[in-house]
Amino acid sequence: MSDTTTITNVITVILLLVGAFFMLAGTIGFVRFPDFYSRMHATGKCDTLGEGLMLVALIVYGGATFVSVKILFLIMFILLANPTSTHAIAKAAYDVGLEPWRKLDDRVEWMNTGDTGNTSNTGNSGEGRAGEDGEDRGEGR
Amino acid sequence: MTGALLFGTIGMVDVFLAMAILIVMASFVSLYRGIEGPGIFNRIIAVNVIGTKTIVLLVLIGFIYERPDFFDIALVYAILNFIMTIAATRY
Repeated sequence: MSDTTTITNVITVILLLVGAFFMLAGTIGFVRFPDFYSRMHATGKCDTLGEGLMLVALIVYGGATFVSVKILFLIMFILLANPTSTHAIAKAAYDVGLEPWRKLDDRVEWMNTGDTGNTSNTGNSGEGRAGEDGEDRGEGR
Repeated sequence: MTGALLFGTIGMVDVFLAMAILIVMASFVSLYRGIEGPGIFNRIIAVNVIGTKTIVLLVLIGFIYERPDFFDIALVYAILNFIMTIAATRY
């Protein structure tokens, strides 16, 4: 195969390593953080950036071909879709009534969705879900 | 590894293979939160994260085996992942 010491391959390897670092940092944050919202804070940005960097590295490696245009479309779609899905998950969780983790909290308790004044109409299925999922979520954070 | 890179004893395919193995290991670490994590939202976001890693894994596999079919699969997988996440958060 091709030599690794040419300049494009060195750039490729560096971008791949930086992207892998961001992905690993996001994964560690996803496992270690105490709350759902902070976990999403870790994954929503680190995965997007790490994936973008790794795909840019593969574009640099592939050169100006038709395949690189496909990967460019993939990057553009991911930069649009990944924050959108993260925002959708966060908004759904907030509408259902998942409270953010605070300091000195042992765990985040599930509120009754009737108590929260700002649940919008998208959380109309939240009453049953909060009720049926409250049991197995009791030990969680 | 860096010294081997500077001397050019390993090719780029080996680097891609190492990155693919790293991504698979990160996916398994994320799968722990998907199985163990309390609540449905942790599971939804674990599926989202694993799908995000799978897209990069598919592109890396396409470069390792030099088969351009995998890029279309990765593109379709990205769209499916997005639609699945939106549907799971709506209902």
